[in-house]
Amino acid sequence: MTLFDIIYSGNDELFARADKAINDAIAQYGEDKAVAFPDTAYSLPCYYGVTGQKVGNLGELKAALANVKETLMGRKPRLNDVFNSGIASALCAEFLEALKYLDGATPYELPRYGHLSDAMIRELGVPLVTGDIPGVAAIIGTAPTAQDAVDLVKSYQAQGILVTLTGGVIDQCESLGLKTGFNIRVIPLGDEMQSVIHVVSVAVRAALIFGNITPGDLPGLEKYTMDRVFAFVNAYGPLTDEIFAYGGGAIALGFPVITNEDRYRVPKSLIYQEDVSKFNATSLEARDIKLKITNIDIPVAFASAFEGEIIRRGDMQVEFDGSRVDCFELVHNKDASEVEDHKIELIGPDIDTFEVGSKHSIGYIVEVAGKSMQADFEPVFERKFHSYLNCIEGLMHTGQRDMIRIRISKDTFNAGFRVKHLGEVLYAKVKSEFAAVVDKCQVKIITDPEMCTKLRHELAIPMFDKRDERLTTLTDEGVDVYYSCIMCQAFSPSHVCVVTPERLGLCGAVSWLDAKATNELDPQGPCQVITKEKVIDERIGEYEDVNDAVRKFSQGALEDVSLYSIIEKPMTSCGCFECICGIEPLSNGVCIANREYAGMTPIGMTFSELASMTGGGVQTPGFMGHGKHFISSKKFMKAEGGIARIVWMPKDLKDQVAERLNETAKELYGIDNFVDMIADETVVTEDPEALLEFLTEKGHPALEMEPMM
Amino acid sequence: MPFTAKSGKFNAKINTVAVGTGDAAITLGGENVFPFYTFDDAIENAPKVGIEITDGGMESEPECVQKLYEGCTTVVDMAKKAVTFEGVDFLSIRLEGGDPNGKNRPTEELIQIVKEVADAVDVPLVVCGCKNVEKDSELLDKAAAALEGKNAMILAAKEENYKTVGASAGLAYKQVVGAESAVDINLAKQLNVLLTQLGVDSKTIVMNAGTAAVGYGFDYVISTLDRVKAAALSQGDTTLQMPIVTPVASETWTVKESTASEEDMPEWGDLEERGIDMEVETAAAVLAAGSDAVILKHPESVRTIKAMITELI
Amino acid sequence: MALKGLDIFKLSPKKNCKECGSPTCMAFSMKVAQGSVSIDKCPYFSEDAKASLNEATAPPMKTIKVGAGDHEYSLGGETVLFRHEKTFVSRTRYAVTVCSCMDDAAIDAKLEEIKSVDYERIGERMFTEMIYVNYAAAAGKEKYLELVKKAAALDRVLILGCDDPDVAAEALALVKDGKPILNGANASNYEAMNKVAADAKVTLGVSGSDINELYDTLAALEKLGNKNLVFDCGVNSVKEAYQIAVQFRKAAIKDSNRTCGYPSIVRLDRLSGGDKHLQAALLSLFTMKYGSIIVVDQMTYAEANPVYGLRQNLFTDPQKPMKVEPGIYPLNGADENSVCLTTVDFALTYFLVSGELERSGVPCNLIINDAGGLSVLTSWAAGKFSAGTIAKFFEEQQIESKVKSRKLVIPGKVAVLKGELEAKLPGWEIIIAPREAVQLVKFMKEL
Repeated sequence: MTLFDIIYSGNDELFARADKAINDAIAQYGEDKAVAFPDTAYSLPCYYGVTGQKVGNLGELKAALANVKETLMGRKPRLNDVFNSGIASALCAEFLEALKYLDGATPYELPRYGHLSDAMIRELGVPLVTGDIPGVAAIIGTAPTAQDAVDLVKSYQAQGILVTLTGGVIDQCESLGLKTGFNIRVIPLGDEMQSVIHVVSVAVRAALIFGNITPGDLPGLEKYTMDRVFAFVNAYGPLTDEIFAYGGGAIALGFPVITNEDRYRVPKSLIYQEDVSKFNATSLEARDIKLKITNIDIPVAFASAFEGEIIRRGDMQVEFDGSRVDCFELVHNKDASEVEDHKIELIGPDIDTFEVGSKHSIGYIVEVAGKSMQADFEPVFERKFHSYLNCIEGLMHTGQRDMIRIRISKDTFNAGFRVKHLGEVLYAKVKSEFAAVVDKCQVKIITDPEMCTKLRHELAIPMFDKRDERLTTLTDEGVDVYYSCIMCQAFSPSHVCVVTPERLGLCGAVSWLDAKATNELDPQGPCQVITKEKVIDERIGEYEDVNDAVRKFSQGALEDVSLYSIIEKPMTSCGCFECICGIEPLSNGVCIANREYAGMTPIGMTFSELASMTGGGVQTPGFMGHGKHFISSKKFMKAEGGIARIVWMPKDLKDQVAERLNETAKELYGIDNFVDMIADETVVTEDPEALLEFLTEKGHPALEMEPMM
Repeated sequence: MPFTAKSGKFNAKINTVAVGTGDAAITLGGENVFPFYTFDDAIENAPKVGIEITDGGMESEPECVQKLYEGCTTVVDMAKKAVTFEGVDFLSIRLEGGDPNGKNRPTEELIQIVKEVADAVDVPLVVCGCKNVEKDSELLDKAAAALEGKNAMILAAKEENYKTVGASAGLAYKQVVGAESAVDINLAKQLNVLLTQLGVDSKTIVMNAGTAAVGYGFDYVISTLDRVKAAALSQGDTTLQMPIVTPVASETWTVKESTASEEDMPEWGDLEERGIDMEVETAAAVLAAGSDAVILKHPESVRTIKAMITELI
Repeated sequence: MALKGLDIFKLSPKKNCKECGSPTCMAFSMKVAQGSVSIDKCPYFSEDAKASLNEATAPPMKTIKVGAGDHEYSLGGETVLFRHEKTFVSRTRYAVTVCSCMDDAAIDAKLEEIKSVDYERIGERMFTEMIYVNYAAAAGKEKYLELVKKAAALDRVLILGCDDPDVAAEALALVKDGKPILNGANASNYEAMNKVAADAKVTLGVSGSDINELYDTLAALEKLGNKNLVFDCGVNSVKEAYQIAVQFRKAAIKDSNRTCGYPSIVRLDRLSGGDKHLQAALLSLFTMKYGSIIVVDQMTYAEANPVYGLRQNLFTDPQKPMKVEPGIYPLNGADENSVCLTTVDFALTYFLVSGELERSGVPCNLIINDAGGLSVLTSWAAGKFSAGTIAKFFEEQQIESKVKSRKLVIPGKVAVLKGELEAKLPGWEIIIAPREAVQLVKFMKEL
């Protein structure tokens, strides 16, 4: 028999039972006898949700069953019919259950609940929407042993997952004295398999109440339960045709079924897990349930108040020092199958075997996996390690990559802090702060010195190199989208940064990769995707889509911007730019002043004078705020001829950018040591004539270029 | 040649949001012009004025307010009295006693008060939390449940607890959901979007886009409200077209000007006058910047602001 | 649309002669574009260039100067309708009314009251800058002239509310050197009033029975060559006064209707109907929406505290946060042994923090650093609020000799400074405060 046949057979059997039961009831009470579940405004909730029709009496119930048969019980060998038959089976079960409540009967006695009231669903609904209840486990059948059942229930309870029990598992839990009840979120429904419908009823009413789904909108209902109700089924074998039929309904609503009976498998929907002790992990992965991490399991305090703590040599238990021995920290994006969530592994000796005050190697690799995870996020996470680890009381972390240093204080060590606790902190923070992209996370900590050396050189350094290369090879032309950044609109209401790979935010703090990560982690946040499909003018870097975005994010204050020109529609500046450049007309070039430079420039204005005229999100042709890194970019005022226009910079700034600026000049114009041609305050501070003289003497290329204005 | 002005009427308008039920229900928003610009187009729904009491009852009120509630012993007494003052459109109860850093009153106790107040008055109700986001999740969730069917306004969901407050007030119990953000147009917008994505009907959201007493960083309030209204009306930004509700009393009655005693500041003169003027001048300014409702404490302030609105509409 | 600096530069002589006071022509052009320097400062701009630039750079709303000496005030000159677009330039000024219809005792009391409100708030003197001296014909000319003299003795800018040209001329003869405003022109007397004002070289205030008559009278005066005007928003109703204030400002700035581009006078003494709280509310409303001068019946501390605070907030540069003076602020009766807290000089931070500290009732010394007026995290990121700058500030201000306590509480957001501060301020115990000001009350009580 195929799975289809089994579901059809289960459905037929249920239909026959319902048909008989309704007919018997009509024979006994007549067609006008009222039918209802107690304490609900949604009639027979599943039937109402699926069809939009309410059922008030036995006559209508009979008609409803006929309607189910006609509309949902197709028998062609196609998926749609199977799913609909699954739903039809659930509706038959609902009808059968409804009949139990005829005449105001109370068919269920606590601890069994049967039907759940609307009030209960409203109460459950809020934590379900917020994720405080991260999922719903519908356990059905009889576990191999009572202990297996109890273990499974307890594992879900520990995660805050709501559990419903149907069938033999209820007695099993009772036999071992497990407490159940609505208030502790373990809800036995009933002993008969059909009582599983009461959890389906919860999902359907959640969709009607919380999802504003119109009753009768079956596709809408299925989409809502699929996207928003994180339920799944754990079915212990042996599975009857009836259970398979319900399973079809569960799958239609988006709820995967995990079972220990290896008869049929459907990827992502009907999942075989031989080991019932792994039902929990398999289920969470199958339903993509992410648990909130509320506390970090370490023996000392964790708070930002400890961020600035300095551990002096005398107070220090041990030290890891990347400047002396091989150390590194790394985030590594892996395939989901390679990562076991919350696994923390120590390779090498722990710190209690080290001498007080001694120096050692350490490497830690945070391996993450997630459907939306990208290798580009690795450095973004990694940069946060510094502040995560420093929040540990009595721990000091400095540096990054393979130049880290960690000191652990004696007090902290004596409180029981060991190497694995580093892993706990990294796990908890990465998992909670990057929940949007990280599904699973494990941490490997290596204190074995040889392993550290090997991994540093064979794994970490090549990865760092690869990332650096990616950064330098990322070009504006090489990507499909740019990002807007409006982090500083609180100060500059109409300013919008357009962040491109070669033009980072003018504050210097937001690169294209940062903006990308910010966008993916917080899709409603300050960084939004800007497409760049409709070119207006390649030369100055003007795009229709960029203009649209700028107009939108500046609330209409800005009409159009170019990415590469300082004269034509230049990008606006906020107040937090690292540097500002402005035209120096006599020399046909630009002067750049950085924020730290307090003196005069040959333009005749100081940094703060320039800033006050340029800032505030107003376009000021001839002047532009930018980040330090942008100075060596090939896109730096590309429309006006590029970096060859730079004629003056403060010495300090020159030193900071010299290496990369020289490289770019060599590449663009074949000029060696271009930086030496640029004047600084040691040569000339405010006299444009003197500047011109200096430039003439050096043969500065700007003098030969076309006039800027 | 007579003066001719270009019309400042916009195609877009602020959402209308009804609060309360029955004859006493009020409607906020609906305007398609800047604040009080009736010469550009008629303003159908004048801004509304609410009066605020707290769970602390008489004890937590300044002396000058206490004397106007003379004879009241319970919060419910005060609620009944509050709604009789001239100019009151709605009643706001602030559950400040719930603050874990303050009195830390248990949720059940506070919800009991909310229920009793709701039973005692007919006017639309606003429930304000205690400003602690965690406690507010619980408090406002339970308040929304307790007020089912009243179409009350729940102030407010914030970025940290919008899921709980939004799901409870907006989805489970169909109240009006307040969205509170800290004087920043983008945060206000983001919260509105998040609430809408959660499934809350945007036509049941009102914003508290930030507030302060005049002189106390009020520049940010002005610019945020100005910009929100401009974006909503001239840019037609639907994610910012929610009416704005500004709790004024809780800001103005704590500043020096309203609390320093006459002994300490003899030259400043009458304390009650100072308190009232601080409240009405702040309220008038937020209304001028675009608020659709203000929440005040002193009955004289309520009367005054109502009179100002009546003069202008 | 204002011209860009670069456009002005293109027309400049490009001589870098420095005669204008700016080091380069580029710097000069930028300042002209910004409106901070007049193009006339440059002797070498060609007349043609100047004419075309003057036309383009002429502000949509005139700047009218009134008063003299220390009490000269600019009115109007605004270029935008909302403060986030660009800083509002001319603060609203407040005037208290006295009238020759009042008896002497009442007049004296009112003048005393005007003097009594005079204080400083964040570096700005707050007081009633103007007195509106109203002429009541029934009380006679002599009494009015006496009143004008009396009011002039207070050393405030006078607004003479008088529509009788002869009386006005006599009153002006007494006080015209103080550059008062003569508010009294209307459709029936504007020609005569124009002459009186022009002779005395003072600003003329214009009113009309409605918005159209006001507009026509302004236009008629402009035709007579008078552009030293302010307009009175009238006394018919609050609604109409608001309409005039808003629509004229909008017409001037958005639609370049220059006849509307004058400062306004709002007569709350007449519009509030004796309701002092309503007057307070309207004071705030018209400060927000385009009152250049607001005339009130009374300005005691009750009205002044909030409205001057509002004005200070409204007229700040939206990009430059307000600063408070760095130094030690003892709170709640603190002495040299009280615990110290430190934070930045951003006014908003100061108000929030000092407010919460005052609420705690715990005596403490709040040490405000010079952090460029930025918020805690911003100034920290900009390097203006670091262990080094705090230590340097402590040294400059000789904090250690001024306080004996050696407990220093730093903002939770810069907890990261703790270690370095301990190194730079030996002997001090560095304590981390909560991250948000609202948590300070509890923190201080438990400290």
